[in-house]
Amino acid sequence: MKITDASIHPYPVGDSTLARMALEAAGLGFDSIVAIGDVGHRPDGPEVLRGAVISAASQKEVIKQVREPAARRADVVYVNAGDISFNRSIVTLKGVHVVRSIHATRRNAFDHVAARSAAEHNVAVDLSMAPIIQLRGTKRQRALQRYTDILSLQRRYGFPLTISSGARSILEQRSVRDLRGLCALFGMTGEEVSEALSSIDRITRPDQPVKVVR
Amino acid sequence: MKPRPPAMRAKRRYILARILPYGVAWDQKQVYLSVIEAATSLWGDAAIGFAQPAVVFCDGGYIVVRCRRGTEKDIATALATVNAIADARVALRTVATSGTIHALRRRMKPIRPLSEAGEVKFGETYFTVYRYPRQKVDLVEKGIKHQKSLFFTEVDLEER
Repeated sequence: MKITDASIHPYPVGDSTLARMALEAAGLGFDSIVAIGDVGHRPDGPEVLRGAVISAASQKEVIKQVREPAARRADVVYVNAGDISFNRSIVTLKGVHVVRSIHATRRNAFDHVAARSAAEHNVAVDLSMAPIIQLRGTKRQRALQRYTDILSLQRRYGFPLTISSGARSILEQRSVRDLRGLCALFGMTGEEVSEALSSIDRITRPDQPVKVVR
Repeated sequence: MKPRPPAMRAKRRYILARILPYGVAWDQKQVYLSVIEAATSLWGDAAIGFAQPAVVFCDGGYIVVRCRRGTEKDIATALATVNAIADARVALRTVATSGTIHALRRRMKPIRPLSEAGEVKFGETYFTVYRYPRQKVDLVEKGIKHQKSLFFTEVDLEER
């Protein structure tokens, strides 16, 4: 079971290099991290997975971008969530692993139909801790509401969840213990947090039927 | 005034947290204000009034936050939401929780730069280089106000 921070944004997007963020992640209790963007040289320490984010307005655009070399090279492909019909369609697409930025969508944008499809296609929903850490007031309350809603759907339909810091700096990375505390704010139990932190490994390497090798 | 007998005093817990970035001397009052702002914003006035958090120590890159026993998890969660102290970006990393400050002092390992600060130029900007253990390198933009910080490793710096 690998504890994974599902998305970080190293230098030049952020102010910390991938090697430094990997060093920090190891100290914070992570076994692997998903770096968004061009990873380049993979540093020693925790395993670094390559992530690609697709931001599109329609399903057609997502299909086109999933086939592009940048997405094909990536270990984990994320799609930014959109409206209700968009979310329902992207969870069924081959090559899409995680739906992210769910906190930025309208209420009920990820509904029970999308939840059922996500569970069937083993597509995860990402819970970014960045809005909980960075935002204050009504914006944070809205993010907590969205996460509570996602959690209730997850308990009913069983699609995978991932937890990410969304860090652009080592100052935005949080420890596994901190993430447990932050996830408890919207009612996640310790066991659910552990499962969500290890789900990237299960998404990228799903269980396959046993093959006989001769 | 006669102090309360020990049995009537509220039980306290102390949380040790490390402040990132290293090497900055923080004002205890500013740290307190940031902690209170984060905690009140997260849990509300009533809960924080009950928890009574206070920064009782701030030195060497560490702080100790005192709170009422039973609220230490909530306060530790609130510490994770601290982003800035007096407009400077920071992170607070919870190290340990204990019933005495004495026990926490043993967990404090001062983090000091390995050598004299150097200098490096990226594009048009000059940065002061601070080297720390485990090949960590912090670059702080030279200037008077709102200096940009970059967090590299020794290998990253050599490759540039």
